Amino acid sequence: MNEPIAPVLHKVGNRRHEWMLRPEGRKTWQRRRLPLIGRHWLTWRGGHNPRTLERERRLADKRPLWWLVGLAGLVATAPFLSDAMLQIAIVFCVFAAINVIWTLIIGAAGILSLATMATVGLGAYAAAAANVYLGVPWPLMFPVGLLVGLMAGGLLALPSTRIDGLYYALLTIGVAEICRVSISQIRALAPQNSSINNVDSFIPQDWFLQRPGLLLGFASAFVLLLLALLLFRLVNSERLGLQLQAAREDEEFSEAVGIDYKRARLLVFLIASGALGVIGAYYAMLYRSISLNIFSLDQLLLMFAMIVIGGMGRAEGAVIGTAIVVLIDRALIDLGPLRIILIAAVVIIVTLTTHRGLADARSQFRAYRNRIKSERRAARTRKGGEVMPEEATEIADKQLIAYRRFDKRLRDRLKALITPELIEEHRRAPLGPHSDALARVMNYFRRGEMSDKYAILQEGDPGSWTYSVMALSGEPGKPPRVVDDRHYGSRDEAYHAVFLLRVNDLLES
Amino acid sequence: MDASLIVYALNLSAIYALMAIGISLLWSSIGMLNMAHGATFAVSGYGALVIGGAVLPTVDALLQGSMLLSYARFVVLLAAGAGVGALCGGVIYLLAFLPIHDKANFAVRGLIVTLAINLATVQGLLWWFGPRQQALPQIFGFGRLEVLGIPLRYDQAATIGATAVLLVAVLAWLKLSRKGLEIRAMMQNPEGAALSGISVRRAAMPVMAITGAMAGAAAVLLSQSVFVSPTAGAMPLIKGMIIALLGGLGSVPGAAIAALLIGVLEAATGAIPFLGQRMVLLVQFGFIILVLIIRPRGIGGLLDETRK
Repeated sequence: MNEPIAPVLHKVGNRRHEWMLRPEGRKTWQRRRLPLIGRHWLTWRGGHNPRTLERERRLADKRPLWWLVGLAGLVATAPFLSDAMLQIAIVFCVFAAINVIWTLIIGAAGILSLATMATVGLGAYAAAAANVYLGVPWPLMFPVGLLVGLMAGGLLALPSTRIDGLYYALLTIGVAEICRVSISQIRALAPQNSSINNVDSFIPQDWFLQRPGLLLGFASAFVLLLLALLLFRLVNSERLGLQLQAAREDEEFSEAVGIDYKRARLLVFLIASGALGVIGAYYAMLYRSISLNIFSLDQLLLMFAMIVIGGMGRAEGAVIGTAIVVLIDRALIDLGPLRIILIAAVVIIVTLTTHRGLADARSQFRAYRNRIKSERRAARTRKGGEVMPEEATEIADKQLIAYRRFDKRLRDRLKALITPELIEEHRRAPLGPHSDALARVMNYFRRGEMSDKYAILQEGDPGSWTYSVMALSGEPGKPPRVVDDRHYGSRDEAYHAVFLLRVNDLLES
Repeated sequence: MDASLIVYALNLSAIYALMAIGISLLWSSIGMLNMAHGATFAVSGYGALVIGGAVLPTVDALLQGSMLLSYARFVVLLAAGAGVGALCGGVIYLLAFLPIHDKANFAVRGLIVTLAINLATVQGLLWWFGPRQQALPQIFGFGRLEVLGIPLRYDQAATIGATAVLLVAVLAWLKLSRKGLEIRAMMQNPEGAALSGISVRRAAMPVMAITGAMAGAAAVLLSQSVFVSPTAGAMPLIKGMIIALLGGLGSVPGAAIAALLIGVLEAATGAIPFLGQRMVLLVQFGFIILVLIIRPRGIGGLLDETRK
């Protein structure tokens, strides 16, 4: 009956999972800012432990850490990779850079444009042609690509203001095909099967496809990816990106507060197109040639698959998606057409199960978990005076929580002791001697709060007293109130009436 | 314009119309842009090839020397293509519509899933049948007949005729049947339709199957002049999309007019010497961008403001 029960302690709140720094409390907190833009490197939250009053500092946004781990891991492993794997890493970096910029168009500007590879290809062809036919040295190929990218972006942006959403997306699928056909028509540009070869490059001729050349190629591709990420950050998290974010949330409101979101959208589109042109020029240099394959629908669909798997609109999504697709596409090359089917299957599964791609899977899972939690919470109706875990975070005095939990368990055990025999025993001898069970119940009653207690009122003349039961208010200055109009002939009967009332209160709680 | 050019244009228009009206119907009734329409097209071509190869010898043996033989062959192939197309439509319904049709961002997600189905199907066909192009059994031979002094190849005549019959049948079904009424209600006001007890899930299934069957029929009809190959669906898909956009997504008459326009434009561009076949797509795109800039919702499409 009275064997000790191991206490069930529910761990409450998320604090114990947090990853805290404990800085010196007396020192002032000096936060460094990024030059020029005046932002902080990392988002820190300061606070203190409510119990020990120790100073605490917490990294509010841990994504920079993951970026650092991932990119540093890539750089650290690259020198040890085989030549084939190194080429895959190069392809990954270049495609990830393209996709990050594309994410800028789709996510920040909100224009669902599929003309990315067309812009890249145009930049590549223009830069390669300038180098091969006009003798432009390789460093100047970048401005050529930029210029052509800006021009292509300007042309593509014209209809985007007029035609909206999916219409524009479907139109831009065809742009790559138009580019392919037009370039294959220009005989002067590319005599043999429309590809331009022998483009000058930052990789020396005799290093091409050799180990040092590959390493140099990887280094440059990695720098390209970093630059693309920097551009993403500069556009997406600064003034332009914030304006566009406001416009995404409420177009009319943002217009009312003076945000020219159409202009911002076009500007982002132009910036991204220029960057894509530069990547195109880089692409031509990296492979020393450019062919019509870059405009193929399959290539476009693969790139789209990368963006879709990672999740449209976030840089980490673009990079994760690129990593998955490039790995399947290049590393499992033995599978033949099956690997494209595999990629398509991944796309279908990701699209059917996640709302906004893999990068968002975590927050989607959390939203799901919170929904389930609140459903359970709503389904739970009985709490019996105990503090529910979600209430507990709002009670500052944690001892109160422990006391309420103890009290609840004590009452549960006492309720099991109340039997007709026990009540009969009390009726026979209210003032004892008591059995062990009755003594436990009575002790609990004695220890209760004043507001739960009763008093006995003695009235009438000496020799013929009548007794009635009153409830104490528990508040000073507020008199007790009469519970009912029953009168008892003896003091023991009144004691027993009080006992019955307390038992009733106990069983009802 | 040359008379045979008109026939050529009509022939193209007929096939494009079958594709475009399917895409357009799907968009307006269930709000999904079916990028797997090209896959349905290619699979139906192969389906007709396989089923035709299995069934046609018995048909030939049964109707040896009969007048009806070529018609029977035609019906068998068309039915095979349409049946496989309808099955494909069912698969797309199960994969791309049913799981997400009531979830967030359905339009874009549906587009992505169907695009992935398209990609996977083309690669699957490539893997299974190989990249070689194959010809469907010839039905009508290479004969010609004269209608009003215009020379008409048998297959062209059959294509134009069959398309006309199919389109009329589908439109009549939409107009006259109970299911058609449900679908039209869904097109006009999805919420209102749902409130009056029309289940989107139930109504979407026949739409999917019928648009799939139309793509299958288009595949069989086009295969009389073009070979069956895994990538055969890409061009009809792109053309169908262009026409559906040009006609205004959701408008069947608009799609028909746009199909006619694009068919004529294609035939005319091909015939003009300095443009030639290779510039056809370019001219078409230029045309459609021009039209969309003037009328952003296409020829038959209403602007959102007008619709409200």
